[in-house]
Amino acid sequence: MSGRSSDSTARPSGIGRVATPQPKAADAEIREVATSLAESVRSFRRSLHIRTVDTGSCAVCESEIRLLAAPHYDLHRLGFFFTPAPRHADLLLVTGPVARGMEVALRKTYDAMPDPKAVVAVGACPLGGVFAPDDWVHGNLDAVIPVDVFVPGCPPSPLALLHGLLLAVGRLGAKVTEDPFTATATPRPAADAPPPTKAVEVSQPAVAAEAASRSETT
Amino acid sequence: MAFWTLRGLLRGVVTTRYPAAGPRDQWATALPTPPRFVEGHVGPDVASRVVAVCPSRALWLDGDALVLDLGACTACGACRRAAPHAVRESGVSELAALRRADLVKRIPLRASAR
Ligand code: SF4
Ligand code: SF4
Repeated sequence: MSGRSSDSTARPSGIGRVATPQPKAADAEIREVATSLAESVRSFRRSLHIRTVDTGSCAVCESEIRLLAAPHYDLHRLGFFFTPAPRHADLLLVTGPVARGMEVALRKTYDAMPDPKAVVAVGACPLGGVFAPDDWVHGNLDAVIPVDVFVPGCPPSPLALLHGLLLAVGRLGAKVTEDPFTATATPRPAADAPPPTKAVEVSQPAVAAEAASRSETT
Repeated sequence: MAFWTLRGLLRGVVTTRYPAAGPRDQWATALPTPPRFVEGHVGPDVASRVVAVCPSRALWLDGDALVLDLGACTACGACRRAAPHAVRESGVSELAALRRADLVKRIPLRASAR
């Protein structure tokens, strides 16, 4: 556990290897990243074979990946297929906190894949959100192989995974980049607000109304 | 049959493309999503309360801002239950990003305490 509390600049709890964001992101840099990725994956826009590597995940991420083939999500219609052979794979889905025991297998898989290739980090584990680097895990996929697309969530929903795959092949843009994750206050009077100390579930109608307004605006 | 085909064509579901407006079905909009913070309601006390309840350490304070790391958030809703007037479900399920830093959001704190 020695590595746990060593490098904590941003997050006081010790996991912080994530740089605290600058208030304004550099748009030109985002465009550059997106363009270079789109260039490199141009050849497999409509036929992409995916290899997954589990580097010590709790298997919930795998279960979500498996759900991508279900009729709800149906990734085959989009031209994505799973393959067991890294030599046939264009894209690597990596789950888990990059356990050091899996490092050799991960590197071999990555090296065996033909160029061009893309790497998608799936879930909070390889994004550095769950484990700090220590003697057992790297805790961050970027430390081992270059990552092209980050899919957050624990586990990420299949929708997030599908979006990540489409983002990786340049068929969709990143939607969270510009989203500040703040909302303007509703006209609801403050007196209506429940006492802040009490735990209150958000009522279902409110959630439904919000969902409806969301689907109208998007 | 005709109903489903028409419905699919109208929504762009029966296609080799992804629906342009994003998935709209109920199962898609009902997925748990990371929190969204209501402007003007996140003061220092609300911020420290949500930081304290977050089980994933996805929230922390940095000067005059609350930092939300979507890469660590599990969309558990604990922050929403701890401060229902200040935190909402964001409804964003298409969360993938090209840069890790894009997933870390700064929420400016309201100056006066409440
Ligand atoms: S990100 Fe969450 S669901 Fe996925 S492997 Fe890690 S702990 Fe499990
Ligand atoms: S939803 Fe849960 S994990 Fe995400 S910020 Fe709120 S308390 Fe933390």
